Amino acid sequence: MVTAEKLPKEIITAIHRKDFKTPVIGVTGGKGGVGKTTVAVNLAEALAEMDYKVLLADADVDAPDAAILLGLPLENPVDVFIAMPLIDEEKCTSCGDCVHACRRNALFLPRGKVPILMGECNGCEACFMACPTGAIYRGERPVGKTYKTERGNLTLYTGEIIPGVEESAFVVNAVKMRAFKEAGAFDIVIIDTSPGTHCNVINALRGCDAVYAVTEPTPLGAHDLSRILDLVEFIGLNGSVVLNRSDLPGARDEIDAIAKRHNAAVTVDIPMDELLMKSCAEGIPVVGTYPEAESSKRFIKMAEDIAGECL
Amino acid sequence: MKLCITSSGRDLDALADERFGRAEFFLIVDTDTLSVEAVMNTAQAAGQGAGIGAAQIIADKGADALLTGVVGPNAFQSLKEAGIIIYEGLSDNDTAREALEKFKKGGYREASAPSGGPGHGRGRGRW
Repeated sequence: MVTAEKLPKEIITAIHRKDFKTPVIGVTGGKGGVGKTTVAVNLAEALAEMDYKVLLADADVDAPDAAILLGLPLENPVDVFIAMPLIDEEKCTSCGDCVHACRRNALFLPRGKVPILMGECNGCEACFMACPTGAIYRGERPVGKTYKTERGNLTLYTGEIIPGVEESAFVVNAVKMRAFKEAGAFDIVIIDTSPGTHCNVINALRGCDAVYAVTEPTPLGAHDLSRILDLVEFIGLNGSVVLNRSDLPGARDEIDAIAKRHNAAVTVDIPMDELLMKSCAEGIPVVGTYPEAESSKRFIKMAEDIAGECL
Repeated sequence: MKLCITSSGRDLDALADERFGRAEFFLIVDTDTLSVEAVMNTAQAAGQGAGIGAAQIIADKGADALLTGVVGPNAFQSLKEAGIIIYEGLSDNDTAREALEKFKKGGYREASAPSGGPGHGRGRGRW
């Protein structure tokens, strides 16, 4: 997909609808390990130091690490549950409609008995709707937790899937809902997404006013940047590029060309920086510990530009 | 007795298929009259739960027993719930007819526990 298509206008409006005025910045990037979370936590910390009230949401629930990079504990846990079918044997007529409705073949109907939940249910609730006699009632199973940790001007909302559970989308949505519900009380919202261009990234980016795609000048960084910018365009958002490890010899020209093709500017450029690596190991954002570091200067400039534009 | 043989084709001369959830066809053979009904395995392409879906198909067809290569835990449990006896050890070097002959001579073992772990039904993505 070279030229991205775009969703119809009314769908774009619908998926980004929100009931608060606080600007929302998405930090994403397609490729894993390019520094999305590093950018998100440093941007959040820089804005907090400028005395803005910052909400940072870590929507990468399969590998949530914003708390680690910020050196924050996970506080105020709330369980996330998904629905699962429970069968009322009195009402069930063994018609099999629920079995046919299940795309995951999770339900099995032995002859003359009632359906049994045999496989992996992903909580889609199609069987609830398919049952003509109302014989399926709602059970629940936990799939993860969301957390909220307040420290001064910065509040971190994060979530964690239970290891081995597949339904991370529900936890991403729960983090987003918890954060968006309280977003009105903040000056700015920053959302850190998982890598990739899948549903969890799309859901994390819903409601964003601007998106930063973090990448690095490597062939894979370029390839995945193209994919994520396609997606950002597809869901009707404006993207710009943060080039991390910008002095790595490699695919810089390609990055510039891809950005240009998507009408996205390379707005931030972060060179390799030992102090940045050191700060990651220490679990304190570099802008806090080493404000003199080259990377800190770039993050602070980025924060100032965002504040100048939308705060 | 209605015996289901997993098969790569629509009749007894087709080669057997060792897979259950991902088998191409189910041959529902009446072991008394030798009449054969070929049922396409629509669960074959399922992203998830092919074994359970396959068990549903043959249970709905009224199979009393299944002859296949290996049965995974979800399919095993489903077949057990449906009261279908499981015979394992089918080889895809044999035609379904050869397998049927061997079956009549008692050449296959009845499975009392699932042979594979989850995802060992030889689904395309995992093999």
